[in-house]
Amino acid sequence: MARGLRPLRRIVPARDHFDWPLFLGIAALCVVGAINLYSATSAAKLALQELYVQQVYWLVVGGIVAGILASVDYRMFEKWAWPSYGVGLVLLVLVFILGRDIRGSSRWLSIGPLSIQPSETMKIALILVLAKHLHTAHGSEHRGLRDLLVPALIAAVPAALVIKQPDLGTGLILSLIFASMVMLLAVPLSLVLRLLGSFIAVVWAVWEFDLLKDYQRARIEAFLNPEHNILGTNWHAHHARVAIGNGGATGWGFMLGTQNQFHFLPDQFTDFPFPVLAEDWGFAGSCLLVTIYAFLVLRALEIAYQSRDRFGAALATGVGALFFWHAVFNLGMVTGLLPVVGVTLPLFSYGGSSVVTDLVGVGFLMSVSAHRQS
Amino acid sequence: MKNLDPARAKWMRARGIILGVLLGGLVLNVVGRAWEMQIQQGKAWLEVAEKQRQRKLHVEPRRGRIVDRNDRSLALTVDVPSVSLDLHDLVAGASTPEAQTIRVHDAATRLAAALALDPVELERRMSQKGRFLWVKHRVSGEEAEAVRHLGNAREEANPIRGLGVDGEGRRYYPNRELASTILGFVSPDGQGREGIELFFDQDLRGRVEELSSLRDRAGRLVFTDGTADRARIETEGETIELAIDQSIQFMAEQEIKAAVRNHEAKSGTVVVVDPANGDVLAMASYPNFNPNDYGSFEPEARRNRAIADRFEPGSVMKVFTFAGAFAAGVVQPGELVNCEHGRFRIGGATIHDTHLNDAMTPKEILTKSSNIGSLKVGLRLGAERLHDVLRGFGFGEPTGIPLGGETAGVLHPRGRTWVDLETANASFGQGISVTSLQLAMGFAALANGGKLLEPILVRRIVDGHGQTIREWNRHVRRDATPPHVARMLSEMLVSVTEPGGTAVEAAIDGYRVAGKTATAQKVDPHTGHYSADRFSASFAGYVPAENPRIVIAVTLDEPLLGHFGGELAAPVFRRVAEQSLRYLGVVPARGPARLDAQLTPPAPPPATGAPGIDAKPPVPPAMPNSGAPGAPTRADGANIGLVGADDGPAVPGDLAELPQGRPLVVNEVVVPETTGLPARDAIRVVLGAGLLPRLFGSGRLVRQEPAAGVSIPRGGTVKLVLEPPS
Repeated sequence: MARGLRPLRRIVPARDHFDWPLFLGIAALCVVGAINLYSATSAAKLALQELYVQQVYWLVVGGIVAGILASVDYRMFEKWAWPSYGVGLVLLVLVFILGRDIRGSSRWLSIGPLSIQPSETMKIALILVLAKHLHTAHGSEHRGLRDLLVPALIAAVPAALVIKQPDLGTGLILSLIFASMVMLLAVPLSLVLRLLGSFIAVVWAVWEFDLLKDYQRARIEAFLNPEHNILGTNWHAHHARVAIGNGGATGWGFMLGTQNQFHFLPDQFTDFPFPVLAEDWGFAGSCLLVTIYAFLVLRALEIAYQSRDRFGAALATGVGALFFWHAVFNLGMVTGLLPVVGVTLPLFSYGGSSVVTDLVGVGFLMSVSAHRQS
Repeated sequence: MKNLDPARAKWMRARGIILGVLLGGLVLNVVGRAWEMQIQQGKAWLEVAEKQRQRKLHVEPRRGRIVDRNDRSLALTVDVPSVSLDLHDLVAGASTPEAQTIRVHDAATRLAAALALDPVELERRMSQKGRFLWVKHRVSGEEAEAVRHLGNAREEANPIRGLGVDGEGRRYYPNRELASTILGFVSPDGQGREGIELFFDQDLRGRVEELSSLRDRAGRLVFTDGTADRARIETEGETIELAIDQSIQFMAEQEIKAAVRNHEAKSGTVVVVDPANGDVLAMASYPNFNPNDYGSFEPEARRNRAIADRFEPGSVMKVFTFAGAFAAGVVQPGELVNCEHGRFRIGGATIHDTHLNDAMTPKEILTKSSNIGSLKVGLRLGAERLHDVLRGFGFGEPTGIPLGGETAGVLHPRGRTWVDLETANASFGQGISVTSLQLAMGFAALANGGKLLEPILVRRIVDGHGQTIREWNRHVRRDATPPHVARMLSEMLVSVTEPGGTAVEAAIDGYRVAGKTATAQKVDPHTGHYSADRFSASFAGYVPAENPRIVIAVTLDEPLLGHFGGELAAPVFRRVAEQSLRYLGVVPARGPARLDAQLTPPAPPPATGAPGIDAKPPVPPAMPNSGAPGAPTRADGANIGLVGADDGPAVPGDLAELPQGRPLVVNEVVVPETTGLPARDAIRVVLGAGLLPRLFGSGRLVRQEPAAGVSIPRGGTVKLVLEPPS
């Protein structure tokens, strides 16, 4: 009983160090995201028009979870690292056995009325495990390549499983979370450079030896020749760009973005919520969103920098990396800077698993922030 | 993590800087990209987006109606279903070209079976470039239903996608031949070709609205704030309201048709004009055609002979000669003119009279139709004044009627003033040519006291909102002759139709008829001389003489059986006049008043099938018979005055009894019986009755509302419930 009550006592300091800027930033993102989703689905079929309600439910659920996590001392999470990682791996394997096939890849697991995406929850588990590993093993920032073998393996197993689904985007995100955490916290600069070099080599090899699915390859090729084949693979990217450009400086106004309202914009509530925002609110809206993400990432890094210990720093860095890479890939993809890989926009895209995952990450951040040195 | 050793602190800072640069770089990149797309290229992308969703839509209103003076439709456009196919939708979801080919083949086979088309040809058309395809125009109700079934996912296991069954406008002339030579027709591309359809083509078509409509990805049209726009769009072109009275037109057509057939004439015309205002109440021309199926008629049959054909008028012109002479004072009403005992030489030619008299008064000259008496008077008037008089009555110039192809007639055929012989000839209507309409207008001038009016064929043009946008009112072109001369002539002309005159056949019991016959030899085009056996017989006159209500000009061209105007044309005049007077409710001035003539509402004209008239008008294939007895006549005549009154054959000149003595209010019609008819015939019957059909379902008619026999206001709606034959 006494053990069970211990975390509750932590509520008091958490209140003292409540990270208002972070909270407001996240709250703003959630609100704008939900409103944008409303606009994105307003012209869609009736069934889709109710999506925003679902999203709000998930935001509430995620918010409650985040609130609880924020009020708990983050060092408690260390204990959950391996169990959650284990559960995550099991779920990922289960996807192959029981998964629902959607558009050529099985990513979802049905548990009762719920459909969860284990690749999303894996992100949090991975951050936890990596943070624990970086915290406990050696405790130095001067690791050699050999010391990175274990964390690399920890990241590689789920990443491989996710890529196999196939979900290249999330696999990439998992790898990048690992890379970011390691490079920021565990290795000297020289190794960073060497690793970057080998990363480029791997990318080249993957491309050269045809390790990609046809559609993945087609998307990347489409990215390299953007205005070719508008009706084929580039169709998504093209319509996303038309919608963004169509927004102009100040946009058409809420729910008035024409490309979205007239159904020209594909995947407007999953992978392409940004074009909806850009079309409704124009360049001003785009800048605001980018600013919010940049602020959140910077705040995460600041929290990492100020954290009491390496675990906290790693946790914050991991969550920061999660938001950062998601935002970069999604925005890069819709603006045509990067190829189209299905990566969600944190707290903007529709999806229970990703919303809850992101908010759990936010809970971690809040907790680390609450227990930072100051 | 404070109190770090310096090396670590340095590394931390380095990472911080690297991170900052990386983050800043990426943020700048995204923002820069957004700037580029939204600000710099914003206009270009806007255009791309606009192109994607905008579609210029040309909304062509339904072609306007042509109605008679009582708003009875003479020509209207009805929607007939047509089948279209969206080829993109058809193959949507078929990933491989093979799958698409299979789907096209399958769809072509099934559609061809449903629509009685050649499957190979259809498949070839379906494999074309382009997205939209008319599979078949103007399908039957059954076919439309079959196609709807093929496209319905609930009824069909493997529905054909992209099918559309839409109404397409089809021009429809509910009264078939009635007024056809006035109305003209419309070609399949919607172009008015002749008559009113051609002359008022732009008005009937209405304003073609170019709408910038929006479409979504599926190509569906979306109007965002278009409701206001749509209200502005005219759904129907302008309505042309003719001065023609459908009923009088019908009478005139029946009579001229009967006369042409009975006397084996080449053609004939009847023009009925209201002398008070110039309204053309009827302008019949026979042969005529069925504009619903104009293709199966010779172009000859489509000519409006009353304005397009000119002919040598003959003796009717004597009337105008005397009008000029009286007005100029060169002859007195009581004066005796030497008629040379029926033989007179002038300019190397000999003029004969049929009645050999030495001296006659002008009245006698007109009654007996003496050529010599007329030419004497004409010569007194002189070439110039005679020409001016004829000109004054509107001969030799177009009447200005709004129809194409009007001829002016010729007064100076040689392009110079007349020599004496020509003046003499012209004074009794030889050597000049006129049209029936000119003749009618000239007589109208005598009837109304000397005013030459412009013929009014179109009374007004009404736009889609019911606003009159153009109107034609009584327009006096000139004073053709002084009123007292006109009155005097009217009196003289009455004697023409009285015993002893040349046109006793034109006399109508109870009315005084003023008129003049003409029997003109025609010039043989081969010899250039007057032909011995080719005549044109005509009669022009008005009634009642003391207060003329109608002017009627009748011409028969080259009758083979008989040739005298008094024998051939005068009876046509009488029959048309008699029916019209009754229809117009003109009370007889003398003689026994007939009860039915007192009825204000129009009495039904004799239906076709009267004795002496071929009961079966040619039935073109496009408008199949309903098969119901009496249906063809119903389509022709039942919409006049009375609907639903039994079509029992009526004798011309006699009237069908009003049913049960129940007076009908004008503009109220009896709903006809349609039950059991195929949809098309039911529509025709309802339209023919002056009512609008509203269809539910397809197939045969099983129910109608209101029931047959009920009388409702003209233009009311009859609900027709159709069911496919089981």
